[in-house]
Amino acid sequence: MAQFAQFALTRAFLALVTLLTVSLIVFTLMELVPGTCAERYLAFKNTQGSQITIADIEAEEKRLGLDKPFPIRWGNWVYNVFVHGEFGDSCILRLDINQLLADKFWISLGICMAALILSYAIAVPIGIVTASSTSAIANNTLRFVSYLGLALPNFLLALIIMLISTVLFGDSLTGLFSKEYRDAAWSWAKFGDFISRAWLPVFILGWSATAFALQTVRALMLDEIGKLYVTAAAARGVSGSKLLWRYPAKHSLGPVINSLGFDLNRIFNELPIVALILTLTEAGALLFESLARSNDQQLAGAIIFLLTASIVALNFVTDILLALIDPRVRRGIIGS
Amino acid sequence: MLFKRKTVTAGVDQKAKEAYFTASQGQLIWARFKGNRTAMIAAWALVLMIMMGIFAPFLSPYDPTIAGRDENYENGAPQMPKFWDENGFSFRPFVYATERERSIKTNFRWVVTENREHRLYMRFFTEGWDYKLLGVIPANTHLFGLDEGGKIHLFGTDGSGKDIFGRTLHAIWTSLAVGTLGVFISFVLALIIGGVAGYFGGWIDSVLQMITDAIRTVPSIPLFMALAAFMPDHWSSETRFFFISIILGLIGWPTLARRIRTHLLTERTQEYVLAAELSGASAGHIIRRHLLPSFTSYIIVDLMISFPYMVRSETALSFIGLGLKDPVNSLGALMQNVSKADVLLNYQWYFIPVIFFVALVLAFVFVGDGLRDAADPYSDTKK
Repeated sequence: MAQFAQFALTRAFLALVTLLTVSLIVFTLMELVPGTCAERYLAFKNTQGSQITIADIEAEEKRLGLDKPFPIRWGNWVYNVFVHGEFGDSCILRLDINQLLADKFWISLGICMAALILSYAIAVPIGIVTASSTSAIANNTLRFVSYLGLALPNFLLALIIMLISTVLFGDSLTGLFSKEYRDAAWSWAKFGDFISRAWLPVFILGWSATAFALQTVRALMLDEIGKLYVTAAAARGVSGSKLLWRYPAKHSLGPVINSLGFDLNRIFNELPIVALILTLTEAGALLFESLARSNDQQLAGAIIFLLTASIVALNFVTDILLALIDPRVRRGIIGS
Repeated sequence: MLFKRKTVTAGVDQKAKEAYFTASQGQLIWARFKGNRTAMIAAWALVLMIMMGIFAPFLSPYDPTIAGRDENYENGAPQMPKFWDENGFSFRPFVYATERERSIKTNFRWVVTENREHRLYMRFFTEGWDYKLLGVIPANTHLFGLDEGGKIHLFGTDGSGKDIFGRTLHAIWTSLAVGTLGVFISFVLALIIGGVAGYFGGWIDSVLQMITDAIRTVPSIPLFMALAAFMPDHWSSETRFFFISIILGLIGWPTLARRIRTHLLTERTQEYVLAAELSGASAGHIIRRHLLPSFTSYIIVDLMISFPYMVRSETALSFIGLGLKDPVNSLGALMQNVSKADVLLNYQWYFIPVIFFVALVLAFVFVGDGLRDAADPYSDTKK
């Protein structure tokens, strides 16, 4: 038990180090883009009709602490984020980023996680069954779907579905909330409305993730299925689906769990584009308007950091989970 | 008779065996690759598309920018050259002349009608707009054009009358160029970082691995978006092009770097490395001359596999309006218009570039997969 706690602690520490590295990378990138926060805000004010001088910019830089050297600013940022969970104010909107993002972030994360779960709910059984079947049709269909998942971009799928639904139902299925709920507080009715609309983005996001997952599950299964312990089990008289699920399936799922973090990463990559097409941003429901349009490094940095943090968190959870369910991994930790 | 035949087969056998044993890595890979039918078809499709990209200005009859627009044929449907119709057969392919009308009859909208009595014949190797082939050779010959100053649009035209055929061909070239530049940058970075980490090992390796892993966890497209959003609007399209390629390259290197490192870690304990070290070779020399060549083929395969991801990222970025913009034709920029309801319902030919995009990505994927199988010496025994 003590060893397990030690393992969990080491993992947690590594995750923290990764997050720190990520924060350094993100912070540096946001520093490298042309223009500082102060210049941006004042340029924005300039368009509103007020006259801006160099002295104004300097004063603003001082107020924001931009005159301090880079390591100190990064230190401050990290301290605020890690200790207080505060991302500070947005550059242009001058609003607290936490308030601005809270709902949007959780909804985005929820949709992505739902897509992840959906893709594996489809991929695991199908992948396992087709790996064991020798039917050429099943195998070729699967290959075709997997390649299509890569080549047919999610946004194209979204467009096709939108086109069909516009023609058939007269509703383009865009947005995450119906009009009457858009600005309402959260309630069961709003939640129901949300669910009735969220299935489409979940499905579309899950599309290429499913294709990838299918390929992974199938390849892992094919590796396992030819091994001696499977033959041995078959020789003992275990057969059919029992043989499949009790022996090779169990083993092939370990690496799958391990790669969940990267799948989430991939889904995050699809999210902005799908969100844009389904106009999920218009309802203010998703993150990416702020990312793409606002030119706001504080906000962009916060969003990327949050996305990465959720991937790191998922990686940490899957590591622990794997150690819990897979005796081989557990032995590896405790035994040595 | 029998005896003679036997010696012949044995001789051929011997020769084949000898060829097999003395073949270089590259020859072996090529031999295995040729046996893979899907990959070969994909490779030919790929070569065809690359050629189309290279010779885009020659193949497209009109300038793909606003300068070459056809103001009498906006949002025009694709015109397919015909050889015969109800008025008889012709050896020269032709299209019909179109007329544009706006009056009370058409509800004051521009309506294009084709005049089936008036044939415009196609001409080949016509003179048209000036261009520079491969960026250097000035020319103005184009593969085809139309008689009587008419204009032919194989894939139709877009909202401002630009020829979609020409734009698609130029877009293939741009997307390939961005991808190549991105892959090249990430390749160089991966070589340096993976090479250093793998060769030196120890704490240098740990630190570099930590950074690599951290970068791998950052979702790349949101990061592209954030960076691309800061591109000043006044940048020229060339600057944007380089900027996008550099971003793509800067974020794409970790996977390859990791593989190079793993390979080097196992290779560097081999005797030939020790021998080189004892002969006084420097670290850089050993990495470059001894270690990297030991797996060139794998690097090529990896580059091939990462290519479609680069193209996809560029397309995604341009698609949402943050990447390349109008005067430059990239596949993503062409697809930007596709999502409008108007286009979905009325102008479906806007989707033609999408087909090329899907074909391009698929071709790369199949060739990459074929190369990977071919480069794996155990791929035959597995099956």
